[in-house]
Amino acid sequence: MSDARIVFDQVWMKFHRGETHDSLRDLIPALVRKALRRGPSATDLGEDDFWALHDLSFDVAPGQVLGIIGSNGSGKSTTLRILTKILEPTRGRCEISGRVGALIEVSAGFHGDLTGRENVFLQGAIMGLRSKEIARKFDEIVAFAGIESFIDTQVKRYSSGMNARLGFSIAAHMDPDVLIIDEVLAVGDYVFQERAFGRISDLATSGIPVVVVSHQLDRIAQLCTHAILLERGVPVFRGAPEDVIAAYVQPRVDAAGSTSSSEPPRGAGHVSFRSVRIASGDAVRSGEWCEVRIDGSVNSPLPATVDPVVVRVRSLTSGRVVFLSGVRQLGTDVPAAGSFSACIELQANLVAGNYLVEVIAVDTLAHREIAQSPAVMLRVSDPGTFRGTAQLNARIRFDDPVQARAS
Amino acid sequence: MARTPQRSALRDLREIASDLRQSRDLLTQLTLRDIRVRYKQAAFGFAWALVIPVTIVLAGLAVRAAISYASGHPLETRQLARMAVKSIPWAFYVGCIGAGTASLVGSITLVTKIYFPREVLPIAACLAQSFDSAIGVIAVALLLPFLHVHASMQLLWVPLLAALLWIFAAATALFLSCANLFFRDVKYMVQVFLSFGIFFTPVLVDAPMFGPRFAPIIMLNPVAPLLEGLRLAVVDNHNLLTPVVSQPGAWVSWHPWYLAYSATWAILGLILAALFFHRSERRFALYV
Repeated sequence: MSDARIVFDQVWMKFHRGETHDSLRDLIPALVRKALRRGPSATDLGEDDFWALHDLSFDVAPGQVLGIIGSNGSGKSTTLRILTKILEPTRGRCEISGRVGALIEVSAGFHGDLTGRENVFLQGAIMGLRSKEIARKFDEIVAFAGIESFIDTQVKRYSSGMNARLGFSIAAHMDPDVLIIDEVLAVGDYVFQERAFGRISDLATSGIPVVVVSHQLDRIAQLCTHAILLERGVPVFRGAPEDVIAAYVQPRVDAAGSTSSSEPPRGAGHVSFRSVRIASGDAVRSGEWCEVRIDGSVNSPLPATVDPVVVRVRSLTSGRVVFLSGVRQLGTDVPAAGSFSACIELQANLVAGNYLVEVIAVDTLAHREIAQSPAVMLRVSDPGTFRGTAQLNARIRFDDPVQARAS
Repeated sequence: MARTPQRSALRDLREIASDLRQSRDLLTQLTLRDIRVRYKQAAFGFAWALVIPVTIVLAGLAVRAAISYASGHPLETRQLARMAVKSIPWAFYVGCIGAGTASLVGSITLVTKIYFPREVLPIAACLAQSFDSAIGVIAVALLLPFLHVHASMQLLWVPLLAALLWIFAAATALFLSCANLFFRDVKYMVQVFLSFGIFFTPVLVDAPMFGPRFAPIIMLNPVAPLLEGLRLAVVDNHNLLTPVVSQPGAWVSWHPWYLAYSATWAILGLILAALFFHRSERRFALYV
C-alpha cells in the first residue's frame, strides 16, 4: 500500500465565455482595438469570464473513495480534468502522487483503420501502460471485453458497444496508484455492466485513493466512502454518500444551513429531528418488514396543518420517491410538545436495490418541508423470486384435483 | 521566490527529456499508428513513399532542362544525381512540417481528454516521416551507381547532416504544431511555405548557380547548408572541412562555417521550440 494521495487545495478555475481568437486574422485587429480602447485594467474577472470552480478542497487518502456528484455544469468534469492534469487550476493546487489511472474516455485514442489488437497497444500506451505490460495482459483484456473473435478486425467495423467495452477493458487492467473514474459505468449490456462494476469495486477497494464522478447514484452509494456535492462550481455539501445523495436529489430546506450529517437537532420551527436509524439492520429481504426508529422533538404546539413525522422512501436507481406517508395521513395521534421517539414499521415490498429513507416534517397547507432528518440507506435484496416494479408477495397454490371435479 | 530564467529553463528541459523517456512506448505506438494508417489501404504499399521525391526530381529535370537550354550547357547526369540526393531530405523536411503542424489539432480528442506529454505527437509525426524517407534513401542509394556516382569516405558526413536536419525538422514541427493549435490559420501559411519553399532552397539547383549576389542570401536558409553539404559529400565526394571557392576572391560557395550555422539553428531551435511547447502545454485544453 503506497502512500499515494490526491490533494485538492483551494482550487479555483476560471473559464472564458464566448469566442477566443483562434486565428491571427482575428487576433491582430483585436489587439489593435484593445490598444486603442484603453479601458479598465484587468481585474479577476474579465467581461466574459466566469468561475467554474470556487475554492474546492478535498483530500483523498489511500483506501478512501470520494464521489463527486452534481447536475450538469456543476464543475465535475472540470475537476476531473484538473485531476488528470489536462487543465491547470487558475488558483490553488492539485497534487497527485503516484501513477494515475483514469477511466475517462476510454476509447478516445482508437484509430478506426487499425485492428483491435493494434488499438489495444495504442490505447494502452496512451493511458500510460508499458508495451510489455500490455503484452502480458493482452489475453485477459480481450477476454474481459468479450471480443476475442473480432480482435483482428479493423475497429471502424466495431459497434459502439464493442468499442466502449474494449476501451473500458484496457483501462480496467491498469495497475494504478491512484484511480479516477468518470461515467464509464454505463457501457455495455447488463452482464458486462455487472462485470465492469465488479472490476471497479475491486480496484476501488484495493487500498488506493479513488475519485468517482457518476450520475448513477446507487453506484456512488455502493462504492464511495464519502462524497461532495457540487453546484455551479461551489462545493455545497460533503459527507457520507447517503446524505450527499439525499441533498442532491432534493433541495435542502434546512434553515440552519448545516452541512454535516453529524450535527444534532436539524430543522427549524415546530419540529426537529435528532437521529434516525434502521433498527432492523440496513439490509432487508424484499417483502419483509423493517423498522425505522426516529428521535426528535416537537418544539411548540403543532397546528393541524403540520404533519410532524412523514416517512419518505426514495429509490436511488431512479431517484424517484416510491413511498411517502405521515402520521396525519395514517390517522395516528400526533405527539404532544417535547421529545419523542417513534418506531416506523415498513413492509419492504420493493424491487431489489438501494433506497434512501428519511423522515421529514411537512406543512401540508404550504406544501413545504419544515424539518428533515439525516438520510439512511436501506438495501433491499431479493433472491430473484420476482421482477418488475412492486413486490406483491405472490403465493401460488394449485387446487386439489378431486375437489375441482366435484364442484 | 525569484528564479533565474536560466535555471528554470534547464529544469524544463530536464522535465521534457524525462517525460519523453518515460513515454518511449507511447512514442513507438503513435509512430506505428501514423505509419500503419498511411499504408493500410494504399494500393501501391510502400512505393507511395517515393512519390514525392520522384515528383521533385521530375520537376527539377523540367527546370534544369529549361536552364540548360537557356544557358547552352547540356544537362549532365551529375546534376540529376545531385537533385536526387537533395530531393529526399527536402521531402523529409516538408513532410515533417506538414504532418507535424496538424499533429496536435488532428488529435483534439486526445489532447482534451487524456493526459500524456503532448510533445510525443509532433515527434511521432517526424519519426513516421523518417520511416518514409528511409525508403527514399534506400532507393537513391540503389540509383546512384547507375548515375556514375561512387562511394567515398565523405559518406561519413551523411549521418551528421541527417541528424542536424532531423533536429531542425523536429524543432519546426514542435513550434508549428503549437502555433497552429492557438492560431488555426498557421496551417495556411505553412501550406504556402511547403509549396513555394522549394524555390528558396537549393534543391532543384545548386547554391552556386544562383550567382555571387543571391547565393549568400539563399545560404541564409538554415536548410540550405545541410542540403548543399549532402550534395557535396555524396555526389561530389568533397570533404566538408575544406572550403570551395570557384576562383580566388570570388564568393565562397562552401565553408565549414555554413555547417556550424545550420547546426546552431538546429540545436538552438530545438531547445527554444521545446521550451515554448512545454510552457504552452498547460493552455492547450483551454484554447483548442
